[in-house]
Amino acid sequence: MWRLNAVRHKAGRQGSDLEEFKFKRRAHEKELRRARKDSKLVSKILLLNDDENEEDGTMDTLASDQVLELFKMVCQGRDLVKKEADLRALRKALRSPSAHLVLIRQQSSIAILVTNLRGPSPQCRLEAVRCLHELSQSPHSEVDSWRLRQATPYLITFISGQSPKFTELCLYTLGNMCPDSENVRNILLAQGIIPALNSCIQIHRTNLAVVEAVGFTLSQLISANYVTGRIIPAVLASGLIPHLLSVLTPVLTPDSQFGLGPVIECAWCLHYLACSNVDNGALVAQGTLLRCTSLLVTLGGAVAKGSIEEGMELLIWPLLRCVGNLLLSGPLGALQPQLNDSRLLAALCAFPQAFLQTHPALARESVWVLNNLTSAAAADSSVFCSALFYLNLVPVLIQLLPFSHGINIMVLRVLGNIAHQGREYCLHLAQAGLLPALCATLKMADPEVVTFSLEVLGQLVASDPQLAEEFVRQSGLPVLEAIQYSNQETIRLRAKHLLEHHLPPHCTVDTSASP
Amino acid sequence: MLQPELIQLLTASDLVDLRIDAIPKLQVGFSPGSLFSSFTSQDREAKLTFTFIPHQILLNKDHEFFEDGDIHRHLYLQNLSTCPVYDSPTARQCEFRCHISGCSQVFSTVEEYEHHYNTLHRHMCSSCQRSLPSARLLDIHIQEWHDSLFSILAERQDMYQCLVEGCSLKFRTREQRKDHMIKIHQYPSDFMFDKAKRIKKINIANKNRQQKGTSMEVSMSGSEPEDVCQVLSDQPEEEEYMELNHSLEPGILDPAANPINTVELSTDHDTAPILSVTIQPTTNQQRQQHNRERHSYRSVFTSNLKWHTISYMVHHMILMYFP
Repeated sequence: MWRLNAVRHKAGRQGSDLEEFKFKRRAHEKELRRARKDSKLVSKILLLNDDENEEDGTMDTLASDQVLELFKMVCQGRDLVKKEADLRALRKALRSPSAHLVLIRQQSSIAILVTNLRGPSPQCRLEAVRCLHELSQSPHSEVDSWRLRQATPYLITFISGQSPKFTELCLYTLGNMCPDSENVRNILLAQGIIPALNSCIQIHRTNLAVVEAVGFTLSQLISANYVTGRIIPAVLASGLIPHLLSVLTPVLTPDSQFGLGPVIECAWCLHYLACSNVDNGALVAQGTLLRCTSLLVTLGGAVAKGSIEEGMELLIWPLLRCVGNLLLSGPLGALQPQLNDSRLLAALCAFPQAFLQTHPALARESVWVLNNLTSAAAADSSVFCSALFYLNLVPVLIQLLPFSHGINIMVLRVLGNIAHQGREYCLHLAQAGLLPALCATLKMADPEVVTFSLEVLGQLVASDPQLAEEFVRQSGLPVLEAIQYSNQETIRLRAKHLLEHHLPPHCTVDTSASP
Repeated sequence: MLQPELIQLLTASDLVDLRIDAIPKLQVGFSPGSLFSSFTSQDREAKLTFTFIPHQILLNKDHEFFEDGDIHRHLYLQNLSTCPVYDSPTARQCEFRCHISGCSQVFSTVEEYEHHYNTLHRHMCSSCQRSLPSARLLDIHIQEWHDSLFSILAERQDMYQCLVEGCSLKFRTREQRKDHMIKIHQYPSDFMFDKAKRIKKINIANKNRQQKGTSMEVSMSGSEPEDVCQVLSDQPEEEEYMELNHSLEPGILDPAANPINTVELSTDHDTAPILSVTIQPTTNQQRQQHNRERHSYRSVFTSNLKWHTISYMVHHMILMYFP
């Protein structure tokens, strides 16, 4: 729900506002990248409340004594109706971050909020959790989750409850608290957050807002850094996986209100579980690979039809990563039954084409999955390599060779994997037009690209003399001769070896052709 | 955007057999004698040189490979990704780099790279690093300058070939050849048949300009001082030098008509020299290297030669004097 409201606000943005927004976004992105490098990439969500949308203008920031005044009234109030009103006013005051510091420094402030959280009045509970929610996403480091830990046993208990709105708030509050500290996570674990999430997702499985909140909270729990060795095994053992998978239905009829939100969150959870590599066999056994690949095929179909929804890449990304890592969970031959849909290969080639300009990293990750499919033991990967030829997908890959961002290197890996299968595969690669493409990649600036190109070329020309001749016909020799002068020894050695051992002597070649 | 075949594959109806295991498998394996198949010593060497082995790649969540995707996710969580026009990194086309050690120029298209290569490195004499316009002229150059047998034979026979393609006449001396080319092939008399010993520096200054069409003989590396030129040439004082201009337009070769070149060379040779070039439209202008040297030239100097250039030259010096 939080995202929907945010989108609605942004719709009104225009003109210079847009420029400012873009500028802020770029600056923000830089910050996030730095945070990621420092392993401090953390996001917290603020749920917007319905009544705030109805209010006009911005809230006036209350002075600290006004905030304290409100708080005093909350402490002292006996009448529940009045207390609810006071709590609401306090909650609105907490919309301004400066009020957070005022409140947190007030003695027993959290205890009072918790008292109201577990008190008899449902309305007071709602307002109390909203106050705690505001605090949970505070930008001030002083207001950290450790200070809020008194609330956690109640929050955890309530998420197994029935009222969706309240549950949603509890979930996001917990989710915001997860990344802050390992101590807090240990407490949450001990207090049973995982079984609670499990029962929550079952109780509220038809309520997409709650499902999205469960996904978010779980993703925050398992993606935090220095996650103890206990959290992920606990999640794997909890029975949550089948419920997460049931959210990933191949039938994509996005709810107009929620879009892909719930599916996205569950997919990211699966990615974090798979890449931790704790027990990927268990994940596969519960059908994760099958579900993820089916969904990827469906998404590939949507991409092929040209109906790329906003945010679709947010779903494709974690699915690719999950599949890519799960492919190493066992011998590829054993996983074959879950990978039997040939459209998966087509989808993995379609995503790079479709997202090359908007999200090149996604293109690269898609080809990475292809690498993992084609680089297992020869007996297992040959089926996928053969399929790539049968479905005429190799030219699609070759078209990606001009592009940097790691894309061409990954494509060269895949082509190298295919070439290593055998002579037939090399011949088919040449038929698909690889040799002229290699003549171009050999001239590229990136030495890694050149090295990989030489490896693939080496495999091709050595596998069959026809291919060596073809390479010469494509005027490849002058290119190799030029490469012999490279200042990288590894490149020089490979070029020299090919010229000496696998290519016909160049004095017999017409050198008037251009390189 | 997507190829129609790809679209068809992905939107195939369920009636089509989509199973991968139903697809016929190509035969694996290599014939003997291929790169990795046998144990001959050649292949052992191959195994050491070519190190790529197919392998699956496991990536944990913090790997830099995943950075862009993670950033995108967190921008979404923080409500900043829902913007219709946002500038995320777009896929760049790879740059092309000239591989000749000591050159390292970078180009954004293959055509630019190829033109550069054709102009400067294509028909390059490995002895003296000079680039000739064609294979034939390269052969003639090597024969006349780097073949010790040539000068011996030239004493008794006509060895100096006419430089014009298709003309098979040969002459006893360079002067005779030059006269022939002027008289019969109508080359201008002020054409650059001769070159004084300083030409090397000029060439360095003039090289790397991308000239369309014709090319002059240029030297490749900026790292050779004047002395080297003397050492490598047979006649230290009057070095005759072949430079051909395929477009025989007299008057254009006047250096005064040419804008001063603006090539600067980095003198730092610890890293590959980066050559910054101002590309001027020189379609119909031919740089008059020969005359230019009399007016102005940039002196190119380095404090140290690249080690391999030194050893290369020493090697050739030795060959020259101790055949």
